Amino acid sequence: MALLKVKSLDMTFGGLHANRDISFEVADGELLGLIGPNGAGKSTLFNCMAGLHAPTSGEIYFRDRNVTCLKPYQMARLGLARTFQVYVATGDLNVLENVMVGSFLRTRSRVKAKAKAEGLLEKMGLAGLERARVANLPVAAQKRVVMATALATDPVLLLLDEVAAGLNPSEIEQMMEVIRWVHGDLRITVILIEHVMELVMNLSRRVLVLDSGRLIAEGEPKQIVRRPEVIKAYLGERYVSEHFVGAS
Amino acid sequence: MEVLKTAFDFSDFPRIDIWVASAVAVALLVFPTLPHSSFAMATMIQFLMFSVYGMGWNTIGGYGGQVDLGKAQYVGIGAYTTAVMMIRWDVPFWFSLPIGMGLAVGWSFIIGYPLFRLRGHYFAIATIATSLVLKDVFESWSFIGGARGLKIPLKGEMPNFLYVQFREDYYYYYIMLGFFFIGLFYINWFRHSRMGFQLRSIKDNEEVARSLGIDSHWAKIKAYAVATAFVAAVGSFHACYNFNIEPEDVMSLDLSVLIALMAMLGGAGSLFGPIIGAAILVPMKNYLGAWFGARAGLAGLDLIIYATIIMLIAAFEPRGIWGLITRLRERRSN
Repeated sequence: MALLKVKSLDMTFGGLHANRDISFEVADGELLGLIGPNGAGKSTLFNCMAGLHAPTSGEIYFRDRNVTCLKPYQMARLGLARTFQVYVATGDLNVLENVMVGSFLRTRSRVKAKAKAEGLLEKMGLAGLERARVANLPVAAQKRVVMATALATDPVLLLLDEVAAGLNPSEIEQMMEVIRWVHGDLRITVILIEHVMELVMNLSRRVLVLDSGRLIAEGEPKQIVRRPEVIKAYLGERYVSEHFVGAS
Repeated sequence: MEVLKTAFDFSDFPRIDIWVASAVAVALLVFPTLPHSSFAMATMIQFLMFSVYGMGWNTIGGYGGQVDLGKAQYVGIGAYTTAVMMIRWDVPFWFSLPIGMGLAVGWSFIIGYPLFRLRGHYFAIATIATSLVLKDVFESWSFIGGARGLKIPLKGEMPNFLYVQFREDYYYYYIMLGFFFIGLFYINWFRHSRMGFQLRSIKDNEEVARSLGIDSHWAKIKAYAVATAFVAAVGSFHACYNFNIEPEDVMSLDLSVLIALMAMLGGAGSLFGPIIGAAILVPMKNYLGAWFGARAGLAGLDLIIYATIIMLIAAFEPRGIWGLITRLRERRSN
């Protein structure tokens, strides 16, 4: 069953065509990768799915319900959670309180919200940091706090926007473990935007490639990186013509 | 049950804070039995009133980060409801109090709905405008006394608890002290409640808050209504305490700014901030007035001091005195 369906989605900002005629489906329980060079429109696509932008045209279905014009908080209530690419909590909320904001979506009780948040922090290897300020943590820990907060809302679909950016190899390894746990044990469907190819290659079975707002390729990660149009999108026309003469 | 437990849960404060707070609470309780001038008594009552104003402002302005400079309009609605009902229909204070709060909260929804489409400075300016417009309306509305205001007639017998009319000030003091403690415990619950967390999240980053399922527009309107209920209650009390009310007195821009300023000086977004702010600014305001007489107002001395405080807060510590204390503690523990 398709959990999320995107039908010929278009998104323009003034003269800028950020997403053009994008259609795809995400099955329940899938772990989908979304890649493409900078400016390809990946984050815009996320923002449309999460309700931050209303698409210029096209439709989005979430659990067989048309959610095209819903607001972000309505999407969150329906079970879609997301992380933001560049975001560090700088307010007066500490780590535990940040995660509690997420768990308050499903309960009014402070005791329950706190217990759930503490449980998630422990699973994420953040026990002992409850009272720390998010801004004072190392980047890897910040990313985990953001993920814990998103998970605290009890999502069925989790959109992760570059959670591995700025991490070193061993931290990437740990982040992969966390994503595997979210997908495998918590049974949450995940869509990843990622520039760290290692992570996408290892985790996802299917990858979508975006370039200049268009969906240019779709398929298994191992095969997709060999396709000339994908390499062209990342490395440019000349590289392809020099290295793939006769191949395409 | 959990609500009550939360309201009395101060466990996130260091022990020394709880000792200091308890000592202050005891001092407030026994203050009327100590020798004092009537001027000091009046100052203390004003301190309590401004503390409760500040606590209310702190919900939307402190925890929610929405700088509201129009609280005086709701003080006016509370004060006028009580005064008009008492004068025209002989309704006791304790009945007109909830009605005044209800009317003010109702009005706050009408004002809050469009106003919270605005952000930052635009929101602050719009709150000033709405407050001043309502003041103008009250000044030209003859049913409620117009610009000359209203005078509540005294009942024959005193003390009169039903109408809150007393010869001795300590009665007023203890009633306001009751409001003060109810307000304090309510805010202590509020800051741990779902609404409190939602507001703090909105203050940090509204976009992220919305992605976590928070309807930020509605959350702000609700907190604005809570703040309004606080100031309207004190406004009702103000009418009984002063006997005389006029728009210039209970609805002026000065009052709106003072309410926000006290909370910001003490520490916006902290439990004790508004109380600390009121404890500094109210005596300063009153004693400056007493020392310099009418000249203080003429020279604009009070305004100069307020403006200086705003600039100092903005430049050095946006979280006010409480922020300064927190920073010193963090430095010492590191």
